[in-house]
Formats: sequence, structure tokens, C-alpha cells
Amino acid sequence: MKTDDLITMLAQDAAPPPGPSVERRAWAGLALGFVGALVLYLLVLGPRPDLLGHMADPLVLAKMGLPLALFALALVLAVRTARPGAGAGRTGWIVWAVPALAVLLFGWSFAVTPPAERWRDFIGHSIPICLPAITVLSLPMTAGLLAAFRRGAPVHLRRTGAMAGLAAAGLSTVIYSTFCTEDSPLFYATWYSLGILASAAIGAWAAGRWLRW
Amino acid sequence: MSDRNERWGDLLRRGLGGDATAYAAFLTGITPVLRNIVRARTGGAEDVEDILQEVLLAVHAKRHTWRVSDPVTPWLYAIARYKAADAGRRRGKVGTEVDIDDLADILPDEGGETTAARDLAALLDRIDDRSARIVRGVGIEGLSAQEVGTGLGMSEGAVRVAYHRAMVRLKDLAEAEIED
Repeated sequence: MKTDDLITMLAQDAAPPPGPSVERRAWAGLALGFVGALVLYLLVLGPRPDLLGHMADPLVLAKMGLPLALFALALVLAVRTARPGAGAGRTGWIVWAVPALAVLLFGWSFAVTPPAERWRDFIGHSIPICLPAITVLSLPMTAGLLAAFRRGAPVHLRRTGAMAGLAAAGLSTVIYSTFCTEDSPLFYATWYSLGILASAAIGAWAAGRWLRW
Repeated sequence: MSDRNERWGDLLRRGLGGDATAYAAFLTGITPVLRNIVRARTGGAEDVEDILQEVLLAVHAKRHTWRVSDPVTPWLYAIARYKAADAGRRRGKVGTEVDIDDLADILPDEGGETTAARDLAALLDRIDDRSARIVRGVGIEGLSAQEVGTGLGMSEGAVRVAYHRAMVRLKDLAEAEIED
């Protein structure tokens, strides 16, 4: 076929098919995934019994607030990369504040924890639950986001997938943190981060396979 | 550059609103520029025109991802680079070129079960039903896009686009087969 003929033919079909925008689809996919993660959480984990009593503890608030911030920032980045040619903008810089704060929190906690207790706090007692739980709870939300992005046109597939995985893991970590009784940053700044990174890696891998167009 | 952005942005905006003439002018305007991008990105391959058509199809298929408030060239060039890289990757893997247009041209003329016809039938089984019907109708039975569209409840334009896409997919399948 000649290129001119192709153009003539495409031009007959100028208006795009109606449908929700990529952003709306992303919200819908995320909401569905969130419900899935919440059901899974309630079935298997559930909130810690003394949750309300700890809500005033700044360390517990940081445990929930940092992943919440990660969720919001990574979601903005992920949705942005679903459209070709859009840069990360300022959000691309601001998101680095989250790992920076986690490192600072870890350092501060290391300094104020008595040396004899550091190792115990660092290892904690729930690594085998914490790591897989954060990653598994993030999967339905990653899937929801990636499904929405298939309607978009990401040109850096792995980046889009990693950002979707980070956003999903941010939210799954907020959920998980209401179950987890380990409140030392020596524990959560380390092991939560590892679980979140695993989610981002899975997102990047999945996007490389599913988002090609 | 900004002049180009304004001109193309205006045409595409009108095109997305259903103005076929503006959309045709947009596609015609971007084609030489896209051809240069493809040529530069693929090192002047002989199938520049094929890849260019894939880029145009991608621009068309993803036209809803352009936000009318954004400049159009970064969006457009990102798509062109992505598709050119994609084509380059695929070609790197494929040793033999099969021109599906040749294959399709031979088919209607040759009666009976030639090898090519059997191969095409096998390939058609592997794409979705609607696309296979369109290829059979337009490519083999020689019906017009409008006639096929009436049977399927699709517009003529949609049939032509689906036909072209199906041909690209068949070509990929045929290449994968030869590779095996």
C-alpha cells in the first residue's frame, strides 16, 4: 500500500473512539486493585489490636506517611509516562525525598537506639511476613494500573511499569503497616523498602511484556 | 519549531473533533518529518516506507493520548522513535523478509490448494475472527471495504485500518514461522 493511500484511509476515521481517558482508567484500575488488596488483607492479616493507641506515635505515623507520599508521587509519574513525550517534571525530583527521608529516619533511629538493642530492632520478628505481604498486596493494584495503561501509549515501558509498581507498593505498604507491630525505623525503613523495590521490579518486568504496542 | 507545533496542533485538534480534511492535512504534513526520523533511526533501511506506515498507524491508533493543551511535536516524535526502535528490534531478530503483499496478490489468482494458500489459511486461523474475515473479504474475495464493513457493522474506514493492521500481524506471524 502506498503511504498516501494509507493517509487517505486513516483520515476517514478522524475522531477517536469515545471512551474514558487514561487517567480515569488508571483510577478505576487502581480502585479495583485496592479493593482486592483490602479483601486479601482483611482475610489474612487484619489490623493490629492496639492500632488506635499507636496513631499518635510519630514513628508509626512516619511508617504510614512515607509510603503514602510514595504512592501519590509515583502515581503521578506513572500516569504521566502513559502518554508519549511527557516529561517527569518536578515530581521526578520530589519523589526522591521519600527514600532520602527513609535513610535519614534510619540514621536517626540508629543514633538514638541503645547499641545493645539495635540488632534486635533491625531484625525484628516478622521479616518473612513483611516482605512477601507488601509485594503480594501490591500486585492487584499494579495489575489494575497496567491494564489501564494498555489504553495509553507508554514509550518507556519499564519505567512506566516500575512507577506503577512503586505506586501500588506505596499503598500496599500503608495497608500492611496497620497490621505490622514493628515500629522501629531500623526495621521498617529497611524491610519495607525491600518489599517495595521488589514490587517495582515486578511492575517493570510485567510492563515490558504486557504494554508493548 | 513552535510554528510547526501550532500548525500541526491546530490541525490535529480539529481532526480529533471529526474534521477529516484537517486530519488528512495533519497526516500529510507530518509524513515527511516522520520519514526522516525513521530513516535516521533505522540507519536508512530499505523498508523505511513500511516502518513509516507503522508509525502513522500508531499515531492514528494512539491519537487519543495527545492532550490538546500539550505541544504536539514531543508527543509525535516520541511515538515515531518508539515505533522505529520497535521495528529495528524486530528486524534484528528476523533473517528473512516476507512481503505479505506479494503473498496476498498471488492468492486470488491461483485456484486450488497451493502451499501459499494453505499457509495463509493457517495464519488466518491464528488471528482474531473479525480480522480474518476482513482479510478474506478484502484480500482474497476482492470485496470492497464498504461491502465487508456492511457485513460486520463497521465503517469503511475502520475496515481499511483493521485490514492493514491484520496484514502487518500476518506478516509478523509469517516471519516468526520462517524463523522457527
